[in-house]
Amino acid sequence: MSGSMTPALALSLRRYGFGLAILVVLLIANVVMNPARFHPAAWGTLLGMAAPLIGAALASAPVIMAGRGGIDISVGPAMGLVNAVVILLFVHGGIASPWLLWPVALLLGAGIGAINGFLATVVRIQPIVATLGTYLILTGLTLTILPAPLGPAPGWLRSLSGVWSFAPLGVIALCWWGLSRTPFLGQLMAVGSDDRAAYTAGVNVTGVRFLAYVIGGLLVGAAAMMLTALIGSADPKVGTNYTMIAIAAVALGGVSLAGGRGGLIGAAIGAIDIFLLQSLLTAFNVSTYVLQVAYGAVLVLAVVLMALQDRPTKRSHA
Amino acid sequence: MTARPASLRPAFLKPGFDQTRMRVIGAFAVALALHGLGTLLIPGYSAPFAIRAMLVLAALLAVASIGQTLVVILGGIDLSIPFIIGFANVVAAQLYGQGWNFALVCLLVAVMAIAIGMVNGALSRGLNIHPLIVTLGIGMIVQGLVLIWTRGFPTGSAPKAVSQFVSIGGTFGPLPVAGVIPALLVLTVLIVLVLERTPFGRRLYALGSNPGAAPYALIRPLWVWMVIFGASSFFAAVTGVLLLGFTGSAYGDVGQPYLFQTIAAVVVGGAALVGGRGSYVGTLAGALVLTEINTLLIGLGYQPATVQAAFGLVILLLVSLYGRERHFSTLV
Repeated sequence: MSGSMTPALALSLRRYGFGLAILVVLLIANVVMNPARFHPAAWGTLLGMAAPLIGAALASAPVIMAGRGGIDISVGPAMGLVNAVVILLFVHGGIASPWLLWPVALLLGAGIGAINGFLATVVRIQPIVATLGTYLILTGLTLTILPAPLGPAPGWLRSLSGVWSFAPLGVIALCWWGLSRTPFLGQLMAVGSDDRAAYTAGVNVTGVRFLAYVIGGLLVGAAAMMLTALIGSADPKVGTNYTMIAIAAVALGGVSLAGGRGGLIGAAIGAIDIFLLQSLLTAFNVSTYVLQVAYGAVLVLAVVLMALQDRPTKRSHA
Repeated sequence: MTARPASLRPAFLKPGFDQTRMRVIGAFAVALALHGLGTLLIPGYSAPFAIRAMLVLAALLAVASIGQTLVVILGGIDLSIPFIIGFANVVAAQLYGQGWNFALVCLLVAVMAIAIGMVNGALSRGLNIHPLIVTLGIGMIVQGLVLIWTRGFPTGSAPKAVSQFVSIGGTFGPLPVAGVIPALLVLTVLIVLVLERTPFGRRLYALGSNPGAAPYALIRPLWVWMVIFGASSFFAAVTGVLLLGFTGSAYGDVGQPYLFQTIAAVVVGGAALVGGRGSYVGTLAGALVLTEINTLLIGLGYQPATVQAAFGLVILLLVSLYGRERHFSTLV
């Protein structure tokens, strides 16, 4: 963030190098195996297919970066609830305007994030337990308001999974860039790497962590819209799948689960890695069982290689 | 009402762990209160058969949570438990169905489970990777391999003795409860003795509360992590075999509800996920609380989706009552 460009670049290469290397290899393999799907003309659709996972990974990242066991396992179910509410408003409520549905999605996401943040930082329940509680509540709530899948989605929303798929991700990138101009990001990293030191330095640790949950919630809202765009309907069971795979993507992208290291770029790279792996294995026509083994193997291999690479500069995790 | 569990188990809880003891007593009190509430609201809630059923369900959860308790005391988390449960469930049924000797099947499943667990521990501690990611990845690999092996359609069943051991209507000698209940009580005493009265147990707590300082006390972190994660997988495998007897047929996803329930049982029982704190007696109380909530809500006629939501709400309420963490400023 500070200093000349070159050390910063070297640092981020070191941080993201591994995820980027996998990305390049997988991308080349995909283009060779499946040229039609990866033709530049299809990039919009392709990005639209990857977007929900990228969004879920982005949404999981800020809370993890805030440290002290910070994690949000309610990301998937929260996406499911926003997905259900948006489609219910459209189909039964007759609300089709993006100027209403987008704020609803983002506010709902931010609200869930604020509840998680309140439980984890003010009530001080261990984050994995607090978000496990909201995970169960959100899953139950979604199934109650929407027992069966429902469609369709508004036309403008469906086009967000096609040629316009870069738009939501672009807006997120701009907002994050803007946020990185404020002291918040520095404070988040300080809190994540050593909250006691940050506290003695006068940082409002509780406030920063709470804000991390709210930002994660906003990103959940956006991820849910990208999911709705992709599936073009509401499905009460589709959201929950995203939690674990998003956390895996975040880890793959070089974000330390101990907090204080990594960023949204890494999370996005990790998510794209997983998407490319999925798409490559599907091109090979393997069964979903093999897909699962490959998932697990790549995840373990990636974190092991990353840990080996980090070894010389390893800090004891006390 | 609150004094009873304390007087039942004074020897297990050493003085000096007052806060932990309070949490354990609190969890038992909540379980009792929930049971009282159920008896008031639902006719037949305290009928012998209902209590026997709840005890068996709680016992299965308690066995599955042994490993999670140990791992959490160490400051880790084990997400591979549901996958190992499914693995043991399917592999035991499949091999027994192919005519293998059941003792041999159990031995083989146990050895494989322990090996998987030790890999979890070795990778997490040896390379300093968060166990959440390691155990999730390893668990996915294990489940995928089982699915490939059985092509998604596991067959086979458990011997009669195992079904009898966990049967709701089962008896153990003169006792009107299934054999798994007295077995669990004996196991509890053993676990508490190991944790409270052996050097290994003290090392486990020491390593959990201060991983940085423990090596200076001649504790080998890597070895402890491998043993504890091996034990965690072993008890998950035991749960898988018991569930095979309980449900009667093999099912690869049988362990999935146990992913979050083991964590919830451990936390409701007063353990801290940052390590160094927790007891198996507390986890027993946690398993009872979770089983009571589930039975109560289903008994009140709620839909599964509503039960799940209420379950989440109750966990949050309970943990905010007595599972709160210290403010980090008290750690400065």
